[in-house]
Amino acid sequence: MIAKLKSLLLLISVLATTPLAAHHSTAMFDDQKQITVTGVIKEFQYTNPHSWLLVDVTAADGSVSTWGFEAEGPTTLMRSGIRKSTLPVGAKITITGNPMKDGRPAAAWSNAILEDGTVLNPRAGFIAR
Amino acid sequence: MQHSRPLFFLLAWLCILALPPLAWAQLPGAYADRAEMIELGRRHASAEALYAYFREQAGDTQPLTQATLPDWSGIYSLQFTAAGLAYDSAQKPNELPTAKLVPEYYDKLVERVEQIKQGIEFDPLGRCEPPGAPRGVSEPFLREYAVTPDKTWLINEVAAETRRIYTDGRGHLPPEDRFPTFDGDSIGFWDGPRLVIHTNQLRAGMYQRGQPDYSDDIELVEIMQKADERTLISHIWAYDPQTLLEPWYTMKTYIRLTDPERILRIHYWYCFDNQNNDVQEQDDGSTTFTDFNFD
Repeated sequence: MIAKLKSLLLLISVLATTPLAAHHSTAMFDDQKQITVTGVIKEFQYTNPHSWLLVDVTAADGSVSTWGFEAEGPTTLMRSGIRKSTLPVGAKITITGNPMKDGRPAAAWSNAILEDGTVLNPRAGFIAR
Repeated sequence: MQHSRPLFFLLAWLCILALPPLAWAQLPGAYADRAEMIELGRRHASAEALYAYFREQAGDTQPLTQATLPDWSGIYSLQFTAAGLAYDSAQKPNELPTAKLVPEYYDKLVERVEQIKQGIEFDPLGRCEPPGAPRGVSEPFLREYAVTPDKTWLINEVAAETRRIYTDGRGHLPPEDRFPTFDGDSIGFWDGPRLVIHTNQLRAGMYQRGQPDYSDDIELVEIMQKADERTLISHIWAYDPQTLLEPWYTMKTYIRLTDPERILRIHYWYCFDNQNNDVQEQDDGSTTFTDFNFD
């Protein structure tokens, strides 16, 4: 039982820290760094093999930039409890991910918190249950 | 009366000995010992020989009928281990894959692993290639199984791939007509609740990211069976004399997912539905996205 628990904890830790992309290498993301931004949802592209959550982030000077957060496709997101309707356009979100190495405004989505406190972990969908 | 009891047990025991063994009694069970399975692979010189051994051990099996189809319904997914996506679920974290490779392929693997550590990696799936066999067994997405008396379809969400296992007694194509493909040519038979598969005519590929390559000489033997209502186990032996010093064995576990609202289903997987998923290989062998469209 303890061994199983240890395995599960290790697995959760692996899933939480490793970008597991469906159809391509994750070499373009920096798995040693994380960025967090707060903004409003511009669009949720619920597509195979990857989904993209586009978030508009307003800077202190009032300028708006769009960040893209990549996650797995619809079925893995559904297994994580993230449906297309979970993230409507205009909703406020604080989202974390491993950023692109080349500096473009995109990241591998690892975690997010909605305004009501709901936590969304897209990688939790890999746990078979 | 007291004297007849030992005689009764003796006669009963003799009757049991005289009965033919259960048809599937000799084939590996769901949780067969890993060391024994590795040894079983070593004892057979080729996938064809191992498959013939299982065929012989099974004896005269009864073909499936609609009434005797095993229940493999539902949607399944790979049970992750600490090995992550590693082809062999028994691989330890931060260690090399467990395959016994010939020197050329071992060196290639070591170089691949070192490059990944430096962030240099490209996965052919990025070009929307299907994983094929055997790589497909370690993909972590959805699976469905369509079992009929004459054939079984192993359906993988990744790249909308389907492996077809013919269990109607046919053989492989004759050698002069063979050609390599992603999923090869699979024939099989049912031994009670177990599906035994032999696959050849595969094309060269990679077992998984960070894993060795295999050649188009690779052949597979698999035994798939339910361990309980929600667990499907697959024993897999890969034979590839070009790349392996001995057969590479692994066991994969797939769990039937709980889906009380019945929202899970396999959707078509097309990499170019979304421009933001378009990746390309760089000159140094690494991967990057092409142009994003966040407008």
